[in-house]
Amino acid sequence: MIRKLAIVLAIVPALGFATACGGQSGDDGGKVKVVWWHGQTEAEGQILKDLADEYNKSHPGVEVDPEVGTTNVDEMLQKVQAALAGGEPPDVAYMYGSWSSTLADTPKVVDLSSMVKDPAFGWDDFWPAAREAATVDGKVIGVPSVVDNLGLIYNKKLFDAAGMPYPTKDWTWDDFRTAAKRLTDPGKGVFGTSYVVTGDEDTVWRFWPMVWQQGGAILNSDGKTAAFASPQAVQSLDLWRAMAVDDKSVYLDQNGEKFLPLFYSGKVGMEMAGPWAMRDLADHNVDYGVVPLPGYGGNHQTISGPDNWVVFDNGSKRAQAAKDFLAWLTKPEQDARWSLGSGNLPIRQATSKLPAYKKFAEQFTGADAFLANQANAVQARPSIAGYPDISAKVGDAIDRALLGQETAQQALSGAAAEADKILAKG
Amino acid sequence: MAADALTMRGRRARPRVRLMPHLTGWGFVGPATLVIVGLSIFPAVWALILSLRDDNLLAPGSFVGLQNYRDLLDDPDLRAATLHTLLYSVLYVPGSLIIGLPIALALNRPIRFRAFYRTCLFVPYVVSAAATGILANFILDPQFGIVNDLLAGAGIARQGFLQDPSQALLTLVVVSLWGSVGLPIVVYLAALQDIPRELLEAARVDGAGAFRVFRAVTLPQLRPATVFLVIWQTIDALQLFDLVYTTTKGQPLDSTTVIVFYLYQQAFQLFHAGYGAAVAYALFVVTLVVSGGALWYARRGEAPS
Repeated sequence: MIRKLAIVLAIVPALGFATACGGQSGDDGGKVKVVWWHGQTEAEGQILKDLADEYNKSHPGVEVDPEVGTTNVDEMLQKVQAALAGGEPPDVAYMYGSWSSTLADTPKVVDLSSMVKDPAFGWDDFWPAAREAATVDGKVIGVPSVVDNLGLIYNKKLFDAAGMPYPTKDWTWDDFRTAAKRLTDPGKGVFGTSYVVTGDEDTVWRFWPMVWQQGGAILNSDGKTAAFASPQAVQSLDLWRAMAVDDKSVYLDQNGEKFLPLFYSGKVGMEMAGPWAMRDLADHNVDYGVVPLPGYGGNHQTISGPDNWVVFDNGSKRAQAAKDFLAWLTKPEQDARWSLGSGNLPIRQATSKLPAYKKFAEQFTGADAFLANQANAVQARPSIAGYPDISAKVGDAIDRALLGQETAQQALSGAAAEADKILAKG
Repeated sequence: MAADALTMRGRRARPRVRLMPHLTGWGFVGPATLVIVGLSIFPAVWALILSLRDDNLLAPGSFVGLQNYRDLLDDPDLRAATLHTLLYSVLYVPGSLIIGLPIALALNRPIRFRAFYRTCLFVPYVVSAAATGILANFILDPQFGIVNDLLAGAGIARQGFLQDPSQALLTLVVVSLWGSVGLPIVVYLAALQDIPRELLEAARVDGAGAFRVFRAVTLPQLRPATVFLVIWQTIDALQLFDLVYTTTKGQPLDSTTVIVFYLYQQAFQLFHAGYGAAVAYALFVVTLVVSGGALWYARRGEAPS
């Protein structure tokens, strides 16, 4: 591994050397170049390539160059780290929302606030939670590339077989627990629901809606101490602990890659999942329905994990060309082709009024439910530099509780103490 | 060295063409030198500088002196990761030798289909750790894996394996052993064939039984191979990463977070590249000390004989 790490570290300065020798590239026969690392492959990549071709045709002065960057977006930031150290970052890259605070501290990331302030851009038409997640201390670090939210998807066949009514939009978490318990059938290897216990953000973000639904928060309003160890949050985690440990109705997914395939094959009755699952659900011919997350006291808040197109500074000419391109790309007509074409929710509300959306909603069961659920995505995770560290501690805490190693109270209090330490360091 | 030797000879014979042998020599070693400097020494120096900085490779960062190294001493997660690595090494290194030697002994006997068995046992070693990990994930899945189906068929309770915090590290040791026991087998096989036949025959003539021959002749003759394997496998164990990455990602409950996986998390997931580099350097020093110590111990043991 040291050897591999050494190679990674070697490539970084080597790239710098190469660019230092190569001089400034990007002016290609008078055309301004926009290198676009979109991280999409296959059908999704093709949609973006077509869009780039079309843009290049109608904008002769610009050459948008779509490149995959990396086939796994998990590694995009690493790739860009290396490219930045080498002085030749892409002009536009696809970035997860959880990286926003780190990106905001990166000098080479272009602040897009002036662009989104332009009324022609239509920033107000983007989903509020997505706008909030893209804004860090007043700096707009990107524009949404994909929006999603967590809802509850359920397998109708399993509910029918158990003779149970389908989940409704008014469900409480207790209803959820009862149903999960009844759906569970160890003899057939069927679980009521599942939870991702990778201990990373995939574990953590599924928990925050329950905190928010009860009026709780992740951090106190001054942002200096953790607020997630409240009695309400403890009670929520304890519900999951009881389901996993006492009821044994929860499939605990160790690497986050099995829970959806198990749902497709009828081994899990209900999943907290997002619109990204709709394409696979259609491919597997699953008879399913979608409702908002269960709630507390009629509050059904969810979480949105929007991803962003982030612009990197390669000189003002290229940055401007990249901004112009993004302004075009996020127009409802293009949004319909990219978002709907790739099986995602529209990133703009106006897109959902287009005929293309109607077709999309007919094609994918639950699209309307997920779209309506966007209204429940009202809060975002704190955009602070320490969030990844805090998230790691909370992820461990949730895992410990769900695996029955600690009570919910012990786990969350411990994580809150660690979080306070991280926040104190600044 | 090669260049120097050529120069010396060239100087004595024809003093005038002194430059040519130089160039020829450098021509031979140049590409390799470039590769070593570029891919090993340069990044090593760069990582050393990085380990003295608070840096995430994105923002400018700052020089913090030895702070990262001071933080190492007071990091409970790193301490846990170190314990996991130690436990893994203590099981893996002797385990691979103890399993490898008998198999090598068996394969050294004139049995039928010997080449076939040898190939079979070496194939897992050639397979990448990533493939081994993915395979292990499938067959050891607690709910849907074939191993648990077999256990259930035999009336034994289903096990959590990689998903049970108390079993995961042990399971990883077993999977690694499966994947890498080919190396000790091959090394021991080669060493066994190097043992002079006279020695074995002399021992037998002197009336030694099979076990006595093994203990008094074979085992001492295998000593250099054993030393090599201990050092090699230790370095391998201390740097365990790919198998963890493809199976447990350090879970459940961080019970399989080993040092290299921890530094990867710090550097690339939590954006503490400087701290990650410091962990890497600390591990490098430990590896150096351990291998040096093993070598010194082995040499010291050899001296009297």
